[in-house]
Amino acid sequence: MSHHLPAAHRRRLWILPLLAAGAAVSAVWQPFAPDAIDLAQRHAPMSALHWLGTDHLGRDVLSRVLVGAHVTVAVVAIVGAMAVTLGSLVGLAAALGGRWTAAVLLRGAEFLAVAPSLVIAIALTALFGLDALTAGFALGIGACGPFALLSYGLARRGMAEPYVRAARALGAGTGALIVRHVWPAMLDTQFAYLGAKLGRVAIAYAALAFLGLGADVTRPDWGAMLYEYRPFMFDNPLLMVWPGLAVVLVCVSLRTAFGGDPGARVPASGGDACTAVECAEAHDLAGASPRPLRLVPGLAAAPRRLI
Amino acid sequence: MRVAGQILRTLLLLWLATLAAFAVVRAMPADPAVLTLLAFDRPATPEAVAALRAQWGLDRPLALQYLAWLADFVAGDWRVSFRTGTPIFGEFLHRLPVSLGVGLAGLALALGLAAPLGGAAARRPGGIVDRVLDALTLGAQAVPAFWLACLLIWLFAVELRWITVLGDGGWQRYVLPVAVVALAGLGPLAAVYRAGLLDVGRSLYVTAAIAKGLTPDEALMRHGRRYAALGLAAALTAEAGWVVGGAAVVEVVFGLPGISAFLVDSIAVRDYFVLQAYIVVAVAWMLCVSLSAQLARAWLDPRTDEA
Repeated sequence: MSHHLPAAHRRRLWILPLLAAGAAVSAVWQPFAPDAIDLAQRHAPMSALHWLGTDHLGRDVLSRVLVGAHVTVAVVAIVGAMAVTLGSLVGLAAALGGRWTAAVLLRGAEFLAVAPSLVIAIALTALFGLDALTAGFALGIGACGPFALLSYGLARRGMAEPYVRAARALGAGTGALIVRHVWPAMLDTQFAYLGAKLGRVAIAYAALAFLGLGADVTRPDWGAMLYEYRPFMFDNPLLMVWPGLAVVLVCVSLRTAFGGDPGARVPASGGDACTAVECAEAHDLAGASPRPLRLVPGLAAAPRRLI
Repeated sequence: MRVAGQILRTLLLLWLATLAAFAVVRAMPADPAVLTLLAFDRPATPEAVAALRAQWGLDRPLALQYLAWLADFVAGDWRVSFRTGTPIFGEFLHRLPVSLGVGLAGLALALGLAAPLGGAAARRPGGIVDRVLDALTLGAQAVPAFWLACLLIWLFAVELRWITVLGDGGWQRYVLPVAVVALAGLGPLAAVYRAGLLDVGRSLYVTAAIAKGLTPDEALMRHGRRYAALGLAAALTAEAGWVVGGAAVVEVVFGLPGISAFLVDSIAVRDYFVLQAYIVVAVAWMLCVSLSAQLARAWLDPRTDEA
């Protein structure tokens, strides 16, 4: 389906390994030790030696930004993996299961979709301590809810497609039906949703660290750096620019990789799952929101495939 | 029938929210009595801790605590903050208008700009306005709002000195927060409106209107606007749902006395009743928005009722 889309909405999945490789390299190699304090070099401007200058303790900003990369990428990867596996499974189970299974699963997912994830993330990180793993887990649980609702809507829709019903009439088992016919048709929308959602995860992680609630502010995380450098906004505003730009770069790469813009082609998920999904979709710690799903069933639907 | 079901389900989710709020907050490690004593520079002797816990009723069984709190909460007695000693209900009553005001004003501004922007973009897909809109949408997804807020403070309050941000600046201190919320919402809202217009532009009745002699622009504006407005309304609800829970970082950056700022201050001492009240209020607001949206949509667009 991708070749019908305008260039801006095409998937470029090869960016993902590039991002992972970049994060891996930046984790092991930096031009300077990220915590090396050099008080003679405080607030040094950008130079051939310190490409992005130095901070208030004379630490090399580029090295600190590089170290922050792998944590952010790890968090994003964990959340993505959790959302795809757990979210898809729950969504499919709800679509295939009986009435009560569906009700229980969907109410749970709805609750996760509307719960203030800031509080959940803080509580979980307070329970388990904050590192990439727990932050990813905390944000991942929050992401599972909306993803499950989306998958449920897509699966329900897929099961009703004429070609799926035809395959079933021809004797295909449920497993084969899901794997060969329903799930592949869900992928396109799921990818688009992930592209928008995972970028928000990078921002949410930065926001958590920025609030100084869960994250260890002495570690060179991007959000923690922004928090730490805030008092120097007046004297050395560039200190505030670099970590923020790094977050933006990761978000843009993710969106480009997954071919963003779910709004343009997500079919309405039908029925009442929409509202929670649309809330979830707009959800974000920082007050900004990605584009919501399309909501008007019927007209907004993709053209039905004819047999 | 359907309306009653929706209201029932909303109430069920709300009750679930109180349960989850209680569970999540009580699962956090660290004793609020110890933290509060330390916060006021008092020695946390076992006697003092036990006395405080007894005063707050934390020494009773958890189930009893939950039921007592729930009964009080429903009756409007939200208990007293450990940290400030003031009634939480009054505190929320003072702070909620700030949070709601900034969020809703920002949304109103975004909506006012989104309709003309989306309309202009739909008229010339791929044109200049369309590209600006694309950039805005990407920006809303990729730029952390708290970072944008910092940059705006630096630009307008430090470099240009146009407005005061901190302290008692009167209405001026609300200009930038509203602008940040509006900027975050503008791209997505306009994009949804644009997508709706493009969608309806392919429909037969718009073609018929063109055949009748209208220009394509006139046909779209006269006959397609209402359909596109449906999508816009849905997107708006999604954004509105996060007004309460979503703008924590904006409130913190601008030092606004909203409820999220109160939450952030309260987490340090594990102010149980404040955290619980916050979670319930945030979820309740989202459920209210979502419920009224569903009811409004069923009324505006009867087709959705059949789903």
